[in-house]
Amino acid sequence: MSTKQNKPSVDPVIVVMLGVVFLAVAIAMIIFQPQSNSIDIAANSGVMSQLVVAFVTGITTGGLSCLAVQGGLLASSLAHQIEQDYVEHTAKHKKSKHQETVRTNSALPISLFLVAKLVAYTLLGALLGWVGSFLTLSPTTRAVLMIAIGIFMVGNALRMFNVHPIFRYFSIEPPKFITRYIRRTAKGTDTATPIFLGLLTVFIPCGVTQAMMATALGTGSALMGAALMFAFTLGTSPVFFIVAYLATELGSKLEKFFMRFVAIVVLILGFVTLDSGLNLMGSPFSLQNMTRNWFTPQAAANASADVPQPVTAAEGEIVLNVENGGYSPAILKAPAGKDLTLNLVTNKTYSCARDFVIPDLNFYELLPDTGTVQVNIPAQEVGSTLFFTCSMGMYTGQIVFE
Amino acid sequence: MIKKTFKIPDMSCTNCAMKIESLEDDLEGVKEINASYHKLEMIIEFDEKRLTDDEIVAAVKKKGYTAIAA
Repeated sequence: MSTKQNKPSVDPVIVVMLGVVFLAVAIAMIIFQPQSNSIDIAANSGVMSQLVVAFVTGITTGGLSCLAVQGGLLASSLAHQIEQDYVEHTAKHKKSKHQETVRTNSALPISLFLVAKLVAYTLLGALLGWVGSFLTLSPTTRAVLMIAIGIFMVGNALRMFNVHPIFRYFSIEPPKFITRYIRRTAKGTDTATPIFLGLLTVFIPCGVTQAMMATALGTGSALMGAALMFAFTLGTSPVFFIVAYLATELGSKLEKFFMRFVAIVVLILGFVTLDSGLNLMGSPFSLQNMTRNWFTPQAAANASADVPQPVTAAEGEIVLNVENGGYSPAILKAPAGKDLTLNLVTNKTYSCARDFVIPDLNFYELLPDTGTVQVNIPAQEVGSTLFFTCSMGMYTGQIVFE
Repeated sequence: MIKKTFKIPDMSCTNCAMKIESLEDDLEGVKEINASYHKLEMIIEFDEKRLTDDEIVAAVKKKGYTAIAA
């Protein structure tokens, strides 16, 4: 018994999926290419590097994280298609008991949803960048935002694991008037719903997206904000597409497996975001800062043995190398009770490490990719610690005053 | 018109609520459905002369969920 006689020999879902993946890879290659010739385009390297980071963040973590938050909207875009396929299928096979094997054409709605999402977030990025040109999001505000996002993500993961009914409230239900409006206006069409819902995703950004939105805001440029959000959203698309495709096409068993997998990833990302927020707040209780403290004697010993220590510390100057992979040394020792100058040295540093923050001093500066920036540090008490971090809370370190 | 609450324990996401609410357009005699994933329930306002509880339960089942009159 054939279910669909005029089914094309090549599954359009696979074609579109491959198309999206190739497009993403091609853009990644275009972005990466100038990075390798960064000497020639020094002025633009920081921009390119930010776009690469945005794209890689999207392709690695953003996709799954977004799916956890926006999965409902995507599923809604597919619902109409699935429903239509179901109706067609049952009309053809009224006596069939295998209703769950209905094959759906989910490629089109997923693609429309993702394209609409890409457009919406690019425009949002432009808007944020433009707004950012008027205001600066302080590291503390960003930290609070990240902690809230982290809690939201962890709550969402626990909801997926069905830990407790309370976690259901971490799932955002679109307002009734919106869902009703969408349902009624999209009735009878296959394209309006996914496009509209794709656009609506801007109202429920996932944690990673929100962090990226904060970064877009921080660019202070409409063009850069748009480019950043475009790169990020494009990066999320293949993962989004593949997971959504698998979730809708491979049946409920695999869907459950995938949702568990997504839940685990979101849980981890939630803790990472939470930890980044704590880092950005200069909290000694972040995982990074706590674990560094646990191994302080050893780490400090290693630091003094392996890394050139600030030879002029006694004279009031300390040096911190800001590298693409973080800060070196991660633990700086400095004399207490006297004003100090911290020399931040960058040398072809294009990662977010150069977005340097000392939360307790309320110091925040985007360092040049190559050069030295001096920071005045007022006298600190013996035994006190100043934590420093990048603006995303990823790379951290500390100055211990003795 | 009467309002009735049905528990739907097998909703797993907000989309389930949206799917159940789409019964508004499918079932004759329904004025309004408010489904909540947070509460795992739906409140349905309907004309009891045109629709029975059993028909509602059957329609919800067709959507893939179990409705239990509260």
